[in-house]
Amino acid sequence: MSNEVMENGVSRRTVLKGAALGGIGLVGGGTLLSSCGSDKATGPVKFTARTNDETGLKIAQALADAYKAETGIDVTMQGSGDTNAFQDGISQYLQGTPDDAFQWMAGFRTNFRADQGLLVDLSENIKNLGDQMPEGFVSGATNPADGKQYIIPTTWYPWGLHYRKSTMKELGLDPENIATWDDFMKLLEGTQKKGLIGYAMGDKGGWEAMGTFSILNVRINGYDYHIDLLNGRQKWTDQKTIDVFNQFATLIPYMNKNFLDISWDGMRDLLLQKKCGAMMMGSWWANDFLAQSQEDYDDLWIVPFPEINPEFGRDSIDAPVDGVCAAANGANPAGGAAFAEWCGSEAGMLAAQGAGDTSLYANTRLDTSGYDAFNKQKLAVIGEAKNVMNFLDRDCRNDFAGTIVGPAIQNFLKNPKDVNGIVDGMQEAWDALPPLS
Amino acid sequence: MTTTAASKKARRRRAFTKGDRFTLSMFVGIPAFLHITWVWIPALATIALSFTYWNGVSLSDIKWAGLANYDTIFTASPQFYDALRNNTYWLLWFTFIATPLGVLLAYQIDRKIRGHKIYESVYYIPVVLSLAVIGIIWRFMLGPAGLVQVMLGYPGIEDAIPIFGNYDINTYVILGIASWRHIGYIMLLYLAGLKSVDPSLREAAAIDGATEWQTFRKIVLPSMKPVNTIIIVITVIESLRAFDLIYIIYGTSTGWPILGMLVFVNIYGQAASMLGAAYAVILFLLSIIPIVFYLRTVFRDDVS
Repeated sequence: MSNEVMENGVSRRTVLKGAALGGIGLVGGGTLLSSCGSDKATGPVKFTARTNDETGLKIAQALADAYKAETGIDVTMQGSGDTNAFQDGISQYLQGTPDDAFQWMAGFRTNFRADQGLLVDLSENIKNLGDQMPEGFVSGATNPADGKQYIIPTTWYPWGLHYRKSTMKELGLDPENIATWDDFMKLLEGTQKKGLIGYAMGDKGGWEAMGTFSILNVRINGYDYHIDLLNGRQKWTDQKTIDVFNQFATLIPYMNKNFLDISWDGMRDLLLQKKCGAMMMGSWWANDFLAQSQEDYDDLWIVPFPEINPEFGRDSIDAPVDGVCAAANGANPAGGAAFAEWCGSEAGMLAAQGAGDTSLYANTRLDTSGYDAFNKQKLAVIGEAKNVMNFLDRDCRNDFAGTIVGPAIQNFLKNPKDVNGIVDGMQEAWDALPPLS
Repeated sequence: MTTTAASKKARRRRAFTKGDRFTLSMFVGIPAFLHITWVWIPALATIALSFTYWNGVSLSDIKWAGLANYDTIFTASPQFYDALRNNTYWLLWFTFIATPLGVLLAYQIDRKIRGHKIYESVYYIPVVLSLAVIGIIWRFMLGPAGLVQVMLGYPGIEDAIPIFGNYDINTYVILGIASWRHIGYIMLLYLAGLKSVDPSLREAAAIDGATEWQTFRKIVLPSMKPVNTIIIVITVIESLRAFDLIYIIYGTSTGWPILGMLVFVNIYGQAASMLGAAYAVILFLLSIIPIVFYLRTVFRDDVS
């Protein structure tokens, strides 16, 4: 098995942590390259947004418009249609006549396609960005197979417990100070007693509950065990893994009963409509709260998932990096690369921010002083952790994460008593995987 | 002897003029060419690829895997057996419930019961919708905050009753939705067949004092043999090739696995194996049995 993720993780964990704690420092270091732009890139560019929701498309369109205003190059933006279908079919898409640039995710999902020659090498563009691009993101975007970068990191977000400050205040609960698992259980119980959902869950998509599994695994068994497990160096049938599932099972009574009928957006709506207490999720949908109203956005808060095993404390977090890739088979790959680079520049990030993007930016020029309270809290949540993960389906080969882990966790949620059968099946499936390339 | 045979052959050959031969080769050749290019070559390629490891991108990466993909499916893919079970449920449900219901409806409508025109239209309407559209309609109706949920008194997402994710009932829900269309389809096919049954046969049976059931069993059913075969084959094939409805309702998360879905999720560029191709071959082998049965019946009818 490859140990790409491990290598990624090791390099990322120290550097990213530094970047986060230092408030994406180096703010004044902008004396190097002023802006972006390979001068070769001309001609119109086509750009696919990864999302298809209103806010996401608005932000993507704002990027296209701002790029046109700055460079005079036309950018045609389109949504991905169905986001899951776009993600699933990306290899086919990239072999056809793809748009020149598209929003994508760092980690395995990029590196695998880069290895197939489907993506444009963006190492030069990363170099052009110079000190604008924090080192941690460069290493996070680096393909371990050849040391090159195929994605321009733009934003990232932590996975943590989200809740509404107003709801918790009404219930008289304090999620800020969950010291132990028992405290957490009391919090869930308290929420449930007041008639709300304790732990919102929607796993129809098959990936949403991976976030809970990963965080429980790193809390109980530590980061190294988790990454080793995802890359075949530990066994799913190990008692340590079974313990994680058993801990997971204690959360099920606090979940909404229809967790296999709703997806991540259902979870978001539960929180938006004040129907639940805590929700374990990445913060990318905070834009939708802002789109609803400033009040809703100000009410939103995130805290790290509580500690379970004191040996590991709260030292790890899922903080996936999103960015823009350029397709090798696009009509204008150079133009796509230049546009991707621009999206990673200060100008690109300001354009997205202006359109209502509340994400954390991977750019040193946008220092934390410009961040609102929620973003500062997100940075603090990431900054607390020593190890940064890319999320299960990017830390692990796709033909295991999507087709095996997803359904296995769904089966587990349906039938939590059958943990042994489920982990046996997962291990068999892992052992049957062919070598990569 | 030999000369007559030769002259016969020559005469037959002469029957086709140059123009005839050109037209004929165009009429046969072009469809045959398209068929071979777009059906047989991909099918044979799929069979060949099912014995390999490949990520679907660069041809130079194809590696021989022998029976490894099949081995994985049969020994290390719990979802395969779930899918096989679900396809079997689908087949049994269609065979013993949906199809007979369609036949019954056709028979009743053919007897011109009161309001038969309305019934005919009502049952036929879902047939004009594709299963994908039907999936969208029912997902909206049964999903959280959907019409049915609201009518049951659960308007919010938080207390929406689990339906598609409820493993006690979702099989019946899915099959019910699929039948909604299938019944109308069978009804229409059968109705067309019933119109061609000679009414004097039934009259004769009635005069001889046969009951309704006896008439149906002894007169109508046997005289509808070709239609019956088509209906059986359609029922089997629809059950095996089911995909779109499930894809719309569950996406690729295989919440309710079926073979068609496993072909799909295992074949697109996520994987390093050709597991999806192997699933496709298994599905192909399962489907070929009713197809052979069907073709044999059709050709036998043509001969006689």
